[in-house]
Amino acid sequence: MQNQLLDIPQENQLTRRLRGTIAWNLVTTIFQQSRFRFGLVLVLSTIFWAAVFCLFYDAFNFIDSMHAEVMSLLFNTFFSALMVMMIFSTGILMYGGLYRSGESSFLLTCPLRAEAIHAHKFTEALWFSSWGFILLGSPMLIAYGIVRDAPWSFFIMLIPFIVTFVIIPASIGSILCMLLVAGLPRLRLHTLSISLALVAMGILWFSWSTFGSVQSQALTPAWFEETLSRLAMTEQIFLPSWWLSSGLLDAALRGESRELTHKSTLEALKFLGLILANALFLSLVASWVARWTYRKGYSNLQAEVPTRRHRKIFWLDELLSRTGSQVGNPIRLLLVKDLQIFRRDVSQWSQFVIFFGLLALYFYNLRSFNYSHVYASLIGHLNLAVVGLILSTFTTRFVFPSISLEGRRFWILGLLPIHRDQIVWSKFLFSFVGGLIPCLGLILLSDSMLGLPWGAVFVHLTCCLALCGGLSGIAVGMGASMPNFRESSPAKIAAGFGGTLSLVLSAMFIILIVITVGFTNHFNLLQQTIGQLSGNTTSRLLGSYGGQVASLLIIIAGGLLATFLPLVLGIRAFRQLEP
Amino acid sequence: MIQFENATRTYGNKVAVSDLSLTIPSGELFALLGPNGAGKTTTIKMLVGLLRPSRGVIRVCGHDLITETRSAHLHLGYVPDEPYLYDKLTGHEFLRFIADMYRIPRDLSQERIKREIDRFELHEFADELAENYSLGMRQRLVFAAAFLHDPDVLVLDEPMVGLDPRSVRIVKDLLKAKTADGMTVFMSTHTLAMAEEMADRMGIMVQGNLKFLGTVSELREQVDMETRSLENLYLEITSSETGEDEVASDDT
Repeated sequence: MQNQLLDIPQENQLTRRLRGTIAWNLVTTIFQQSRFRFGLVLVLSTIFWAAVFCLFYDAFNFIDSMHAEVMSLLFNTFFSALMVMMIFSTGILMYGGLYRSGESSFLLTCPLRAEAIHAHKFTEALWFSSWGFILLGSPMLIAYGIVRDAPWSFFIMLIPFIVTFVIIPASIGSILCMLLVAGLPRLRLHTLSISLALVAMGILWFSWSTFGSVQSQALTPAWFEETLSRLAMTEQIFLPSWWLSSGLLDAALRGESRELTHKSTLEALKFLGLILANALFLSLVASWVARWTYRKGYSNLQAEVPTRRHRKIFWLDELLSRTGSQVGNPIRLLLVKDLQIFRRDVSQWSQFVIFFGLLALYFYNLRSFNYSHVYASLIGHLNLAVVGLILSTFTTRFVFPSISLEGRRFWILGLLPIHRDQIVWSKFLFSFVGGLIPCLGLILLSDSMLGLPWGAVFVHLTCCLALCGGLSGIAVGMGASMPNFRESSPAKIAAGFGGTLSLVLSAMFIILIVITVGFTNHFNLLQQTIGQLSGNTTSRLLGSYGGQVASLLIIIAGGLLATFLPLVLGIRAFRQLEP
Repeated sequence: MIQFENATRTYGNKVAVSDLSLTIPSGELFALLGPNGAGKTTTIKMLVGLLRPSRGVIRVCGHDLITETRSAHLHLGYVPDEPYLYDKLTGHEFLRFIADMYRIPRDLSQERIKREIDRFELHEFADELAENYSLGMRQRLVFAAAFLHDPDVLVLDEPMVGLDPRSVRIVKDLLKAKTADGMTVFMSTHTLAMAEEMADRMGIMVQGNLKFLGTVSELREQVDMETRSLENLYLEITSSETGEDEVASDDT
């Protein structure tokens, strides 16, 4: 019998069934093989959701009682920022999914329409780029509904509002991505760089004009007034974020009479209709663009000449190679190798630069605010925690899998005259020094912008040292204790049981360090500022000089323990390993 | 049937495939040989629709790959050198997906899936997720998927990589039987013995040009050498700077 082409509904049904089967198998596998991880993710997500809900519940209560008129402004700002982020995130995800994935190469050799492949990848990208919105947006909106005593229809309309809204920025991102690849394949990197630079400049300008140049003292009513008047630019009637904000505000309105409530619900439905119509229209446009450009764009991209650059010896590698004795020290040579790989792996250093760069930008802008000493101290500690948490994501994502990834090259390392311990030590040193330099710089920047006294800066730097050592020790030690030599993807290695455990331990270690230093340092500052603490004896003890020294000793001891215990255990396990 | 009509593909200023004109009729197994960077992969990518020719036309069973892409793909089966499988699908689910894609009726597709599972001896692992498969298991499953819809044209890129000797024998026997039934096979390979054993005709590509087109015996006639092993003939053709005059460059 002759094969037949599928019609459009059949193609969509086929890809939908494919996604469904994959999702089902994924969930089943996770539930069967990684119950701990699954449970942990579920518990942490629930805690996060509940925490966000409580935060917004309190915030909305406060705003509702004092500044009810600013709600529209806040919603507009939140949703318009989200819209811009979703356009970019979906565009990037679509680029990876449509043009750089093995699946797209496979599907393009099958008798499927370009639109069907696009729709399939679009659905995936839509989910990946909007789950954060759902996790963050749902507690916020539910809290708003409860605070405003919204009618039941508000809670029912939340899901269609969110789902239809996310399609709009996602479609725009997808259309831009396909047009960029099809029309400007050679210029796409430059175009992307320029676009990102423009967006970064726009964000900087917006942040500065909104918060930075405000004349009044921070967190005062006048400051709020000025800031809110500047945020009014997000309230543009043609923006989908405005339709969403207005629709949600109308849906949450409970009128004095039943008729008035019905009237505002009807208004909300009109906005929902408007969003739905635009979402459908834009997804149709995206489908047309896919039909006319996808295959051509894919081909153009395949035909691009790869840049072949002659790699010269970098000055830092040369310097490291020549440092010390003439005979090559194995650890030094392994460090040079890791440094070369890191430098040439854009996915690693670009994330490093983006996250630490954004933090630096934020810390730099702290000087715009006029804080009291107590607030500055509190913010300094929170910044220390943020630096630690971001470093822990890097150590878990990149350092933890590094031993496992060496497994693929074990036949090289195994034949070299080096001890296995040296491999583990080189990984640790690489992570420790690589993390320490930017983290110390960031803490110094944060503390100097906040105008903290040198004593507090010294304590923060000591904490930073302990954090870098401890986090590197945990990641390398756990990576050596629980290697996964079968997997070649660092992301999948990091997402396994060992990686999850490493992340949890890292988070606990950060909390321990920050809380220890936070209490003593903060109470000490209060004592200095106010002169005498009105609290109990414990507060006075914690804030005393002795309390400060004790906390420093705890931090140093904790840092050493977190550094060397996992490393020793890891080295022991790695010695006995038979790859 | 496969037709290349003056197919040319450039990468910037570099011509990867130059003015390729070639017709491979039904029932022929054609082997494309050539050193690394000769243009074999580009030719295959153009043939399966991943890459569009800068100039010229490529047809599969009379369907232009640019203007009638889906109709052309309906007749094509493709086994790439690095096959793609969904890690979170079992072999059985993957074959079902392929059968549904070609709109094979349910009862017939069940019959064919069973046929391919038997043929490529997939029983032991057909219900396991593909993420647990070895390279050889993956390759056997991809072959099963490529034969599932009984394609008129089969494109193979280094097909025997990862297969054990028994599977190689199964594939070879199958290819012989299918070409005898009228299937056209286009195979790119570095294994000269395989080409010599299997191919009805072969093409040797060097720097984007087809330096030789014909049978092994025609190649032996054209190249004047004492030792006439295919390996020596191949090396002579691919290393010769002035070999263009000595060999045919098209199939007309």
